[in-house]
Amino acid sequence: MTELAQNLIDALALGSLYALIALGVTVVYTVMGMMNFAHGEFIMLAAYALYVLAGLPFAAALGGALATGVLIAIAAERVAFRPVRNADLSAQLVTSLAVATILQNVVTGAVNARPQSVATPAVLGESTELGAVSVPNLEFVTLGLTAVVLAGLGWLLYRTRAGLAMRAAAENFEMARLLGVRADRVVALSFAISGALAAAVGVLLVMQTGQVSPTMGLTPVLIGFVAVVIGGFGRMVGAVLGGLLLGIVSSLLGAYLPADLVPFRDAIVFSLPVAILIFRPRGLLGAATGEARV
Amino acid sequence: MSGVRFRSRSSLAVSLLVPLALVALTVAIGANGTPSLQGTVTTILCNLIIVLGLQVFIGNSGVYSFGQLGFASAGAYVAAVLTLPAALTALQTPGLPDPIATAQLGPLLSTLIAAAACGLLAAAVGLPLMRTSTLAIPISTFAFLVVVYNVLANWDAVTGGSSALVSIPRTTSVESAGLWAAAAVAVALAFKWSARGYRLQATREDEVAARSLGIGVMKERLVAFSLSGVLCGIGGALAVHQSGVLSPTTFYFAATVTTVTMLVLGGARSVFGAVLGTIAVASVNEVLRGIEGGAEILGLVAIGDTPGLAAIGVGLILLATMIAMPNGLTGGREAGELAWLGRLLGRRRPRDRAAKSPWPDVPNAAEMVKAERARDGSLRAEGISVAFGGLQVLRGVDLELPRGEALGLIGPNGAGKTTLVNVLSGFLAPAAGMVRLDGTDVSGRSPNRLARTGLGRTFQAALPFPHLNGLESVAVGAMGVGVGRRDAVAVAADVLARLGMREKAVLPAGSLPPASQRLLGVARALATGPRYLLLDEPAAGLSEAEAEELVAILRGVLEDFGCGILLIEHEMSVVMSLCPRVQVIDDGITLRVGSPAEVQADPAVIEAYLGSSYLEVASA
Amino acid sequence: MLDLRGTRVAYRGVEVVHGVDLRIDPGEVVGMVGPNGAGKSSVLRAISGLVPPSGGQVLFEGRVLNGMAPERIAKLGLALVPEGRHVFKTLTVAENLRLSAWGSGAAAAIERTLARFPILRERAGEHADRLSGGEQQQLAIARALLCRPRLLILDEPSLGLAPKMIDVIYELLAELREEGTTMLLVEQNAARTIDFCDRCLVLGGGRVRAQGPRQELRGDSGLVRAYLGGQAELRRNGGGR
Repeated sequence: MTELAQNLIDALALGSLYALIALGVTVVYTVMGMMNFAHGEFIMLAAYALYVLAGLPFAAALGGALATGVLIAIAAERVAFRPVRNADLSAQLVTSLAVATILQNVVTGAVNARPQSVATPAVLGESTELGAVSVPNLEFVTLGLTAVVLAGLGWLLYRTRAGLAMRAAAENFEMARLLGVRADRVVALSFAISGALAAAVGVLLVMQTGQVSPTMGLTPVLIGFVAVVIGGFGRMVGAVLGGLLLGIVSSLLGAYLPADLVPFRDAIVFSLPVAILIFRPRGLLGAATGEARV
Repeated sequence: MSGVRFRSRSSLAVSLLVPLALVALTVAIGANGTPSLQGTVTTILCNLIIVLGLQVFIGNSGVYSFGQLGFASAGAYVAAVLTLPAALTALQTPGLPDPIATAQLGPLLSTLIAAAACGLLAAAVGLPLMRTSTLAIPISTFAFLVVVYNVLANWDAVTGGSSALVSIPRTTSVESAGLWAAAAVAVALAFKWSARGYRLQATREDEVAARSLGIGVMKERLVAFSLSGVLCGIGGALAVHQSGVLSPTTFYFAATVTTVTMLVLGGARSVFGAVLGTIAVASVNEVLRGIEGGAEILGLVAIGDTPGLAAIGVGLILLATMIAMPNGLTGGREAGELAWLGRLLGRRRPRDRAAKSPWPDVPNAAEMVKAERARDGSLRAEGISVAFGGLQVLRGVDLELPRGEALGLIGPNGAGKTTLVNVLSGFLAPAAGMVRLDGTDVSGRSPNRLARTGLGRTFQAALPFPHLNGLESVAVGAMGVGVGRRDAVAVAADVLARLGMREKAVLPAGSLPPASQRLLGVARALATGPRYLLLDEPAAGLSEAEAEELVAILRGVLEDFGCGILLIEHEMSVVMSLCPRVQVIDDGITLRVGSPAEVQADPAVIEAYLGSSYLEVASA
Repeated sequence: MLDLRGTRVAYRGVEVVHGVDLRIDPGEVVGMVGPNGAGKSSVLRAISGLVPPSGGQVLFEGRVLNGMAPERIAKLGLALVPEGRHVFKTLTVAENLRLSAWGSGAAAAIERTLARFPILRERAGEHADRLSGGEQQQLAIARALLCRPRLLILDEPSLGLAPKMIDVIYELLAELREEGTTMLLVEQNAARTIDFCDRCLVLGGGRVRAQGPRQELRGDSGLVRAYLGGQAELRRNGGGR
């Protein structure tokens, strides 16, 4: 019983981390129709901001990480993604792959290819006893941060004019423009939000592992993509659910797989979308009907 | 047999020989170079085979797969363990079962086994992956790449885990890699120019139109995915026998980005582009890698140790290509189709040649497709209802189209005409009702299956295959229902001649005006040898004279092909001169069925089109 | 107010509108009719900036609109109610309205709009996809009005609506005309459009086939020909007179 509760909390924490990643990918996808490979590098760069700003007070470093995520995302949109905004999905995907490679190797060149360790506040390494269950403080932070981010995103999307414009543009970009919604601003805003979400993930990853490396964004972005595919493309709720599901499955596999199979957890997790897509080609929340584009 | 060809003989020869010459040149440079240059060139040739593998799938299907390097990885691993001496195998991969562990095969046999294994793996993996949507394939294939990496890196006893396998026999020479690469070029071109290749290219150009011609999208993709797996496996096997070492990261993210860049820079649709792009990117890569370790430019600027420079270069090339030149260096054309290359080689413009050469006699397409088909029968729709969300688009419409007859289907905008055609052709499942083709209930059949049963259709938007020429576009129709490549060309030639579109045969369909594209759509559907042909506004955008011509052509089709024609058309003169019977629908129900004269005199029909008050005003 | 001078539209190099002239003065209600594929929607897309005209000029109050982004054109006071309505189905009715009302006085403007469309007030909290076709059309028009249009363009406002609902929509349009709203009305239903508008032009094959005030166009055989072909015209003339 205790073990189960323990595992469930672990699973929920991992699931919410994945949900944050998937949301970051989805925010851009809904508005621009692009799956952004470079989202992993937004995460990585925000994490490196923590590394670079290690001398500063922790709160300032956090602010720096947030600013880095947002600014990099906006800059990437302006320089690389705006010119291909009307290209087809494959072209956009490949473009984002190029941006990912460039950012990753700029960091490799500027810092180092090897992982660098980053000091994190000691309290995050400790655990809190809740009855018989011992919960690492980091999981509280993860769950708390996810809740705050979801609430913040909800506020932004549902309580502000900019969020309203974004939701409208996500449904019908052309119609939104006909009503005076400024396309460039909405796309830039979606990237800024995506960058902020990436920053949150980057910070959590650093706290979890205590280190940064140029390739640290690869697995997260793939997890985000897979979660989006599972949840059904372009749905915020689907992304959150897909992320949660993926995290929970991954975490529980880690807890309950026989020891010699645990290393293959990723292989099993990444096979999951294929299994789901066979039965629901449009994802869990995607429309079940076939397409008739004629 | 007919002498008609998609492209002139000389164009085909140039398309094959120029990339081969490029490979030969690369081999010649490598073979006479230093050992280090030899190694570099061999690696480039191995990469080329992998990039050609990517081209076979990505280039022809238009769907990006980021998982093909997983097959290179698997091929390299298989070839490595098959060639490692037993003692070394026992040391590095103690968990391997016996016949594999003790096997010590030669380079050729191990490469062939690796190729076969990768082909099987690709078929097995592709079976579920190709079922996913065009949108999901890039992601699920990437997930596959991660799965391969994860297994190779963690199955220590069998794969050696994350540490590299070493002391693999280094048997790949510049020459042998060159031979394999040349063969891969030939295979990629042969596939592209085969009936399968054309069917797959049609799905890339327009998935919906391809399905309407009988093409099963998933199946065609799976075949190419498997062939791509074979080529990537060969490339991986040869590469590992060049370097002598293999780790799970050898063919992973970085290699994926590099090979995709090579493909995209050259122009993914083109085999020649794959060759050009590979050599170009590899050259830049080599130069940058030389600088990475620190270098001086002209003795002035000193560049320090900058790891990652080569990868940044690759990334920048990829980014610049996508933004400024999305079709790549070749624009997606083969060597024989490039005007500048033609001038360089002193060829006459292929277009001139095609226009000048007489069109030989071709067999009668109508005879070929009509054979063995009973003349009687009809296409019947009974009580078709369709709703989109809350909006009832069709409410119980009946329709009967006998073989050999033309039925006009008219009605104002939004009446439900196109929706009815979508139901008849299998693109839309009705909420209620049944479709019978020659007495058989065909409700619920997929569009591609219906097309093979004899149901052809066109679309309101022409849905052309922009990068195929006119003859190819039409031949794909015949190939879609299983006609072989040669016969398909003959059928296409005949159909084009019938429609008076000979001179459009050599032009890319994307360059034609919409009216011609629509007519090409008719030709395409006709080449499937339909028993019933559903035409959605074929005369839109035609001049009066052209519309009259179209009517004459369609009369000939009725006569020769003996098929039934359902004609949606706003141009009334066309409907009236072709169709003895006209069905009017409005707001989802049938308003009237009758002769054109009856229909036009019907007040209800006039009201539906012009509004009730018009009658009063006009007759006042 | 709106002035099209030899406006041409092409998609991928292929021209579908071959030079259309159209002038609308303040307070006028102008109709544009014609069969499917006549080029009506293409002309509207060119006016609203969704496609750049391939030739000629589009002027709005003396300003050249060619090449201007749709959102800028919208802010100049040119509102389009598109064919198929395109209300935002994932947004509530109230949110649909809020999106279009910007600047100071937005709340008051929404209040005025709701007064005009009581059904929308009733359903303000519901998602727009729950509305019936007619209600969606009212929402689309309300939304366009909130943009404070100096020119209101309506593309097939009666398409797919029940006759009763069409009457409701046209009553509303008549009201707007009384208030002096300048309108461009595009319809397939020629008779009603001609009756309703001060002036109409008939489009066919990407060209203006006929135009003039309603008196001139009424019973015009060219109009019948555009819709139902030559034989129908003969029949009508022979039978009707």
